[in-house]
Amino acid sequence: MSDLESKARWLRFAVSTAMLCTVVAACDEELPLGVVDTPLPAGPITVEVEIPWSDFASDLEVFGGYGSPEDLGVGFVASQFAGTLDARTLIRYTGYPSAVTVRDTTGAQRPDSTITFVGGRLVAFFDTLASTNVGPVTLGLGRLQQEWDPTTASWTAAIDTINDLRNWTEAGAGPVVVVDTAVWDPASGDSVVFVLDSADVAAWADTLDLSRGARIESFDAGARLQISQTRLRLDVRPSSNPDTIAELSVNPRSTTFIYAPFPDPSPDGVRIGGAPSWRTVLDVAIPAQITGPPEFCAEVGCPFEIEAGQVSFAALKLTSRTTDAAFQPTDTVRLDVRPVFDRSAMPKSPLGGSLVGAALGRAVAPDAFGSNPGVVIEIPFTSFARDLLRGEDANGNEPPGTLALLSVFEPLSIAFASFEGPGSAFEPVLRLVLTIGPDMELP
Amino acid sequence: MMTRCLKLSRVAFVAGAIAMVSAPELEAQSVFNAAGLGVPSEALDGRSRAMGSMGIGLPGGAFMPTDPAALGRLSVATGVVANQPSWVDYSAAGGPSGSFQGNRFPLMGLAYPVFDGMMSFQVGSFLDQNYTDSRTGTVDLSTETVATNDEFIQDGSVSNLNLGYAQRLGTDVSVGVTVGRYAGSIVRTLTRTFGDEIAADVNSYVESGRWAYSGFHLTTGVSATLTDRYHVAASVQIPSNLDAEAQDDTDGADRTFDLPVQYRAGVSATFGPVLLGASAVLADWSETQADLTGSVQAGSANGYGLGVEFARARLWGRDAPLRFGYRRSTLPFAFDADEVTERIFSGGVGLALNRTNDITLAAVDLAVERGRRWAGGISENFWRGTISFQAAGF
Repeated sequence: MSDLESKARWLRFAVSTAMLCTVVAACDEELPLGVVDTPLPAGPITVEVEIPWSDFASDLEVFGGYGSPEDLGVGFVASQFAGTLDARTLIRYTGYPSAVTVRDTTGAQRPDSTITFVGGRLVAFFDTLASTNVGPVTLGLGRLQQEWDPTTASWTAAIDTINDLRNWTEAGAGPVVVVDTAVWDPASGDSVVFVLDSADVAAWADTLDLSRGARIESFDAGARLQISQTRLRLDVRPSSNPDTIAELSVNPRSTTFIYAPFPDPSPDGVRIGGAPSWRTVLDVAIPAQITGPPEFCAEVGCPFEIEAGQVSFAALKLTSRTTDAAFQPTDTVRLDVRPVFDRSAMPKSPLGGSLVGAALGRAVAPDAFGSNPGVVIEIPFTSFARDLLRGEDANGNEPPGTLALLSVFEPLSIAFASFEGPGSAFEPVLRLVLTIGPDMELP
Repeated sequence: MMTRCLKLSRVAFVAGAIAMVSAPELEAQSVFNAAGLGVPSEALDGRSRAMGSMGIGLPGGAFMPTDPAALGRLSVATGVVANQPSWVDYSAAGGPSGSFQGNRFPLMGLAYPVFDGMMSFQVGSFLDQNYTDSRTGTVDLSTETVATNDEFIQDGSVSNLNLGYAQRLGTDVSVGVTVGRYAGSIVRTLTRTFGDEIAADVNSYVESGRWAYSGFHLTTGVSATLTDRYHVAASVQIPSNLDAEAQDDTDGADRTFDLPVQYRAGVSATFGPVLLGASAVLADWSETQADLTGSVQAGSANGYGLGVEFARARLWGRDAPLRFGYRRSTLPFAFDADEVTERIFSGGVGLALNRTNDITLAAVDLAVERGRRWAGGISENFWRGTISFQAAGF
């Protein structure tokens, strides 16, 4: 290769590289920002309007029975709480361990599968915040005597599956073989211990026995206690070292609760939550034309035709009211709203995704349903409102015209939220925040 | 060696052709894009930029729609592509300051000999309209006062697609004509977003409009070489109106803008290895004023440029002429009564990558400009580079 060719090749490389570098260096495109006196299109105005129930909603209906108390994984006990509520917790434990590791007579640790259960304890832990008592409560533990199903058990029914309805011999999961009584005083701790003898332990050993189960009840009226978890602590005597008592822990397989009376569907209001859960369903039709109120018309002119793109915010405004005392929430209630795909299929219609836009739903303090009713809660559904006005959703499908108000988790608690319904002085209203601007024009 | 040169030229020619498949991107070059129809964006190559030229009057074959007759001085099929990055610092008296950068391809073209002349297809830039702006405010709702932010984005440009033909008359005179179609589009979008004071699930408000540009222009030009020393050229561009047609769901109206006739003239003189050039442009945009809304003012976009080229410079044994230039012009649109003035100092170098029989088969022209635009209290300083790559083949 001649010196000239070498230089030519180097030159082509250098020029190509320089061009490429220049192009790449400037590829991070930025738009010039406007400066003083930069012409901007006329600004839109943002106004809000509240639309009464009769102009946007209809056919409010409350449905119950969603989920099972077993799904909660916690228990409740109550005796004449708020003068009405009785609740009991039912627990079925997993199979017992078949071996225990102990130190033998030589001092070595080894598993021993020849063990004898000599007794134990059932330890119940309470949610001190969710429990309503301030003083000690006497509790009782008993052994269930008939076959039962944790998922479908209720105050009256031990099993309530398809083609198999079997009631408790005695309402309230009775009768039981009394095991022990204990007193829980929240001032002294968050747990209570029931003592089991060897017969009690043996009774819950057979995993094929469908009557296997423990019942915890309250003997003192006026409190509602929430049991967050329970454990069986079993005392075993290993054959390799009979002088030693070892402890084994057994977790519950199922924890549920039964209660009475079961609340009737709300005849005139909105009910959300509970266990099983309640949902409130309503049909929604965003009015395409607004003719008032006067202050709104003064700003935008009436009648005003709403366009989907003008809806900046749409929310259902609900006013809380006092829930039945026995079912008043003791913790934050989290509300959700979802579209109902087929109203005619209720209560089994599938629901769409959450419209609230917050992972944990719309949080409401519990006192809004107890000591501080009348709190106005907004449950937003802006995208749903836009779809209704547009006549199609993001996928081009016709949007459903029905909404379901429900708990963000079902079930979340035995307690439920209550709101004023249609016809009330504080009936639900639709709040719209509209942003209205002139058509975009060229300069 | 000759075979390798031709191969290189063909590769470059194909590369240029591929680049032409997509329309040129006009991107942000100035804060004055926000005024009226934007900032004129001339489709010039690196040599003209380096010499401060208005795109006319330099000797030799060229590809620019501003000088149709120069096309006739090309002797073989040729392709050209120009890239133009820019870096801009702006400030406003008592207002904001900042910087931005942009990149565009102002000129792409192919030419091929037809009927003893040269026919060309060019894609060139015309008006740059990109800019963004925002304003903040508050909205009083029944439950709270909510912060708002209105962001406006204008994304658009006007380009032109040109079909040209030029013919040499004898050895010293060349005439050319270019028929062009205006193309491009503009999207104007205003988005209002709300602060987080309001509950979740707040949707932004978006008002948008898109318009497609159309129109035609006819450019004729003539150039002549006098006594082997002087070269003169002149052209006139006669446009139709620029129509902006609303597209899709745009609620805004169609618009029509009056465009001015543009006159260009240039002269250059060769003194040994030194080439001196001067050129000027006249365009009265004031008729467009009637088609605009708001306080924007349309006026004259006149300018002149001066340049010098030292031909004897060499780099790695090849011709590498050094160029310097100066140009001053006014922009057609201003935010108010203060006219926008542009002043540029420039420099550059040409590199003939391959030559055979006095025909340049591949060349690169580099230009660097340092300029300033100002009007009233608003000013911007910019660095702008231009790299044009020209390749020829048989």
